[in-house]
Amino acid sequence: MSPPASTQPPATPVPSPSLGLEIRGVSKAFPNVQALSDVSLEARPGEILAFLGENGAGKSTLLKVINGDYQPDIGTLTLDGQPLRFANPLDAHRAGIRVIYQEPEIIPGVDVAENICVGELPGRGGFVDRRLLEARVRADLDRYGFSAALPMGLMGDMLSPAQRQLVEIMRAIKSNVRVLALDEPTSSLTDDEVQRLFALVRRLRDEGVAIIYVSHRIREILQLADRVAILRDGRLIAVRPAADLTEAEIVRLMVGRDLTAMFQRRRAATDRVVLRAEHIASNWHHDVSFYVSAGEVVGFAGLVGAGRTELAKVVFGELPRDSGSVFVDGRLVSIRRPSDAVTEGIGYAPEDRKREGLILMRSVLENASLAVLQRLSRFHFIQRRMERRLAGEYIERLRVRTPSLEQEVGKLSGGNQQKVVLARWLAAKPKVLILDEPTRGIDVGAKAEIYHLIDDLANQGLGVMFISSDLPEILGLSDRIYVMQNGRISGELPGPGATEEQVLALAMADHLSRADPVPESTTAEEGLAG
Amino acid sequence: MSEAPAGEVDGPATPPISPFRTALARAASVVRPVVRFIGAENLSLVIVLAIEIAIIVSQTKFFLGQQNLLNSLGQNIAVLGVLAVGESLVIIAGALDISVGSIAGIAGVAAALVVTGTGSMQLGLVAGIMAGICAGLVNGSIVAFLRVNPIIATLGTFAAFRGVAFLIAPNGYPVGVGTQPDFTWLGSGRILGGGGFVGIPIILIILIFVAVVGHVLLRYTDFGRSIYALGGNATAARLAGINLTRVRLGMYVFCGITAGLSGVLLAARTTSGSPLNGQGMELQAITAVFLGGAATTGGKGTVVGTVLAVLILGVLSNGMNLLGVQQYWQDVATGMLLVTGVAIAQFRALRSERARTRIASRG
Repeated sequence: MSPPASTQPPATPVPSPSLGLEIRGVSKAFPNVQALSDVSLEARPGEILAFLGENGAGKSTLLKVINGDYQPDIGTLTLDGQPLRFANPLDAHRAGIRVIYQEPEIIPGVDVAENICVGELPGRGGFVDRRLLEARVRADLDRYGFSAALPMGLMGDMLSPAQRQLVEIMRAIKSNVRVLALDEPTSSLTDDEVQRLFALVRRLRDEGVAIIYVSHRIREILQLADRVAILRDGRLIAVRPAADLTEAEIVRLMVGRDLTAMFQRRRAATDRVVLRAEHIASNWHHDVSFYVSAGEVVGFAGLVGAGRTELAKVVFGELPRDSGSVFVDGRLVSIRRPSDAVTEGIGYAPEDRKREGLILMRSVLENASLAVLQRLSRFHFIQRRMERRLAGEYIERLRVRTPSLEQEVGKLSGGNQQKVVLARWLAAKPKVLILDEPTRGIDVGAKAEIYHLIDDLANQGLGVMFISSDLPEILGLSDRIYVMQNGRISGELPGPGATEEQVLALAMADHLSRADPVPESTTAEEGLAG
Repeated sequence: MSEAPAGEVDGPATPPISPFRTALARAASVVRPVVRFIGAENLSLVIVLAIEIAIIVSQTKFFLGQQNLLNSLGQNIAVLGVLAVGESLVIIAGALDISVGSIAGIAGVAAALVVTGTGSMQLGLVAGIMAGICAGLVNGSIVAFLRVNPIIATLGTFAAFRGVAFLIAPNGYPVGVGTQPDFTWLGSGRILGGGGFVGIPIILIILIFVAVVGHVLLRYTDFGRSIYALGGNATAARLAGINLTRVRLGMYVFCGITAGLSGVLLAARTTSGSPLNGQGMELQAITAVFLGGAATTGGKGTVVGTVLAVLILGVLSNGMNLLGVQQYWQDVATGMLLVTGVAIAQFRALRSERARTRIASRG
């Protein structure tokens, strides 16, 4: 292992300085925050450069500087030796720089062809020349092999996330992009789509475009990138060829410390079954049965669309159930809506905390006490001192970084928001807690804290139903693992000793029997993405 | 506030407490609880109200007379105020009730019928409120059980309830209550008068009572908390185990009660239970709630803000009456006030939103 690279200049040789995008000594400060300090780096034509870093490391700010959303306080940008000065993103587009964000701007009522050519529609006497338009778009789509994946006549609001990104990339290609930056492009894509996107990105690289690729997914980056730039606290920590890096090394550089002891798993599951579901059938499931014991962490693994989140929601009463029964502590319970589930002692921390977990405009306090309002109330009056004590206790225990309990939850970072959701359920003292992707989109440090917490909870006798697409964390934390596939449970594995290959084989059982075996290069994280 | 007065820059580490500072501290200790009650988000409404009053007072000496303040202004705002308090809860929950004016119409006729039939003011009051509860249950059931969008649901009952008001009125004619002094006392009676003091209108006391109930309900009960949660993010509220059906029913019933009560007050004040009573008041009530700082998306708003907005609208209309401004100009002014007020609020929200995304966008 090499010493921390923060004191070294980037080890890779600088090529002819006149080519590609050069970022020199860029700093950017916001009130209370130095978002970027003295970042120097170049994106070369014909190369894929990845940005890696925890949330708050400065990746997005750097992208926004490149895109002209922000102007650097000091430092310069040059493209092929020409100095760049952007007042807004349009200037950056004109210079041949495109940043593609997770949610591209798509016009809903207009089809793919017009969406791609938006702003430069071929016209004739004030009318759009559809024939010319379609010919142009078809040529581009054919050239990159996307005419099947992206039907030209599809309306904007019918597009999947992957197709939206393709539209945005095609827009960039149309305008002769020189530097193409992608921000977390795979976060909502399926495995197939990821592979197709990678093929496109590689092809653009080979055509001489400088690619900047931002992602949380380390394995994906190791597979795709030529060079990796690691940011931490607004500083550039290291720039290395991807071939010289390992996953562990990257995590160490990102976090600045070793995270080998992230998973503890020191507990003894009891025989007392706290949650049992039998023969659940629904719109999404066929005959699913499972159980969770007190003091046990039960992992639910599977591909996107396998029905894990839906299973949680059916059990919780959020989605309708056709047949089957749910038992809590051995007693058959009737759960028709989420409030029934909460009354029975089930808690559910949803996957999409912003849309389903939190009241973003209300305070930390109100969010934390939401599931226990009735218990905190006497004659419907909330006992405010008790509320503050209870919420404060869990906010402190989870080390939520917030200036006060009155802080608007929407103003906290993703990891802290997740902790507020968890604090709510800890305060409710459920018998079973369903955690749906609890570490999605939060940084490595906060992840480790949440793993510890899950461990603690199980130790205290809680049953945890743990849904995750991150295989290492499923394997590291679970006592037992259910693998779901296409609305069924395709297998059950003991947690300790289970391997990624075993889980993947069960998750893709259907695919395997129909098609060729899992390709070697398909790593676990991509396989279970989304 | 912690800044030392200019002369003491070179003083000892603990400067002697200056009279200026104690005065400041005393003022702060008085102001702080007041500010906390009003809420920082409502301070701009207080400022608008103060400016408005200052302008009117500088133009006419009649404004500050107790006859004007307690009679014309006080009685005028009360009916709208009661209506707007109920509407606040519904709007904060992210819904809307367009039918409140029609409910007031039904309640007025019902109360007038019962009062003329029995001669009992109390029974009339109860009849009006019961009518409001029933109407609220209808609204709440349509929204909570049939899952009809609140705007559509109450747009429907807005028409239907008005029809009911005409159906229960004998031949569709107004029911006069001029011969029932007990009942009209609700609308124009006063207490604690004498010795040069005209007395406090009953109707104003009722408004204060309703506002306090609404404020306490919203701020100190689990029901109020659920309303904010429902308005802020219905899915998250449901997944946190809140029974939204119950909350929706409850808030429409409360809104129905206030609408029924304001219908009774209107009938008492105009000495007539007319099926036309309350027409157009739903829009005034909604105007007041939005001017009072409620978010159109729900999740934000206070009863204090709504009451302040009712005051602002009332003072505006009262002042323009005193100054002899045409009614049409008053309507223009009211409309402009709402749009300007909400535009300013939007601007401020946008600014704080920008600040937020700036911080969130690191990394």
